[in-house]
Amino acid sequence: MLTAPKQIDTHIDIVTPENTAFEYRLAGPFRRLPAYLIDLALRGGLVLLGWMGLLVAFRFANLPDVGAGLGLVFWFLVAWGYGGLFEALWNGQTPGKRTMGIRVLTVDGQAIGGMQAVMRNVLRVLDGQPAVFNLGGPFQYMGPFTYVLGLLAASANNRFQRLGDLACGTMVVVEEPSWLGELVNPNEPEAIPLAEKIPAGFEVTRSMARALAAYVQHRRRFAWKRRFEMAHHLAEPLRQRFGLPAGTNPDLLLCSLYHRKFLAGENSP
Amino acid sequence: MRVSDLIQSRQRNWQELQHRCSELEGASGRRVPAEAAARFAALYRAACADLALADAYHLPPATVQYLHQLVGKAHNQLYRTQAFAVAKWRRELLVNVPRRLYRDASLRLALAIFWGVFLLSAAMAFSSPDYADRVLGKDLMMGLEEMYSRPVAGRGDGATAVMATGFYAFHNPSIGLRCFAFGLVFGIGGLFPLVYNASILGAAFGHMAGSPNAGNFFHFVTAHGPFELTAIALAAAAGMRLGFSLVSTGGYTRTAALRRAASEALPSACTAVLLFLLAAVIEGFLSPSPAPYWVKLAVAITSCVMLAFYFIGLGRRAVA
Repeated sequence: MLTAPKQIDTHIDIVTPENTAFEYRLAGPFRRLPAYLIDLALRGGLVLLGWMGLLVAFRFANLPDVGAGLGLVFWFLVAWGYGGLFEALWNGQTPGKRTMGIRVLTVDGQAIGGMQAVMRNVLRVLDGQPAVFNLGGPFQYMGPFTYVLGLLAASANNRFQRLGDLACGTMVVVEEPSWLGELVNPNEPEAIPLAEKIPAGFEVTRSMARALAAYVQHRRRFAWKRRFEMAHHLAEPLRQRFGLPAGTNPDLLLCSLYHRKFLAGENSP
Repeated sequence: MRVSDLIQSRQRNWQELQHRCSELEGASGRRVPAEAAARFAALYRAACADLALADAYHLPPATVQYLHQLVGKAHNQLYRTQAFAVAKWRRELLVNVPRRLYRDASLRLALAIFWGVFLLSAAMAFSSPDYADRVLGKDLMMGLEEMYSRPVAGRGDGATAVMATGFYAFHNPSIGLRCFAFGLVFGIGGLFPLVYNASILGAAFGHMAGSPNAGNFFHFVTAHGPFELTAIALAAAAGMRLGFSLVSTGGYTRTAALRRAASEALPSACTAVLLFLLAAVIEGFLSPSPAPYWVKLAVAITSCVMLAFYFIGLGRRAVA
């Protein structure tokens, strides 16, 4: 049997060890950039708060230099460890990634390990090049970055992996907050009597069911002439097969078939 | 069975699974009661089965898409990250890293480049003030001269030492990690920071060795020098290992070779960071202290012996 060719898009298939197959949507730059900016802001805020806190705490102890020193150590840890620590402990997400609904996984679709989390975030300093403005000294490790190198690398492979991702075998996927909508109802009262005229023995095949569902889901967006044009490719052979009069509305015929298949069902015992 | 009935009968399971996913998401790190875990696994398996049979059930595309997202989400909650295997770190640090480094051509190359450039730059700066002037620049040279015109002893108290340690602990490992990350560019990306730092440091050493304040200078740099200078070369070597894996793939694809090298290079880079931190503590506390020079020399010699033991002793033992 001829199977439909795989669509060329940003979905990738995962087959888990227990032989479950499903697909993920890859996160592109327009989802990852806001996540990065959120993390950048949070990181800056964290450093500021931590440093202020230490300075104030040690000022009361009359040891301001100790506070400043510890603050610098804290800064180092946040600058290099923020992403790695969060991604390792939060199952592949940083606060920014969680806000944007994206997650880091291995290319096999498994959870990432601590090493991978740290590595891909250390390599961020390379991916981010060139930096937006080089403040020099310690500031150059904090960003903000332009990510030109990372973008080039990501556009050169089919998983949107920046260099850090390539080195660790990780990828970033979208984890959408999904909700199950109602089954689409065509809302065509005339389709129901038409469904009666379809021979009871007619079986809708799998591929036809897919086509019907896709058609009914999207038909509302088209004017009636366009609907006729699309529907008649399938409706015309069916009309001849069912022995329906010429001039039967092809749009209605597909709706009635959909109604019978998905909503009314074969009422056989 | 009608499709709408089928969806309706499954809907409650799917929604429960989704609800449990959000619950688990918030419960990062906390233990999940056995009952909930079992229920979650059962729901996950059921959803997987529904997805696998979606075509046979004639489910509409919108529902199939929903199932893909649901199963993906549940999969990520079921297979959570193991985070850090802290128990393995000791073995990694004391056995695996020295063993790898003992045979690592990148480390030899990085050490050769660093010390070669360093000594060359030092010799040139020692013999010609003009060279030091050009490499270091007027400001840095004046700064050095000014800084070491006073004797080292009594630069500050313990609190200042913490401050200094903090600064070095921030600044130096950052240079090292940057060196490491840039090494990924075919191994030459890390060369620039390595050669840059070697020539600057070399020029500073050479210049100060020839100046009247040489005593003060060496009083300051001797104790932490071995750890710090080794750490830079080690970080650069780890980066080179990444980059060279792209050139000499050993029969793997470039990505696979890079991935293999990355898992070996990161522990080396972490070792370099540890060395930097050790150096920072010495540089913050001992180096500016008024302790006599022989104490600092003893610390330097001890650190050299420790490094030799780590790289050669542990490396050879692990190989044997």
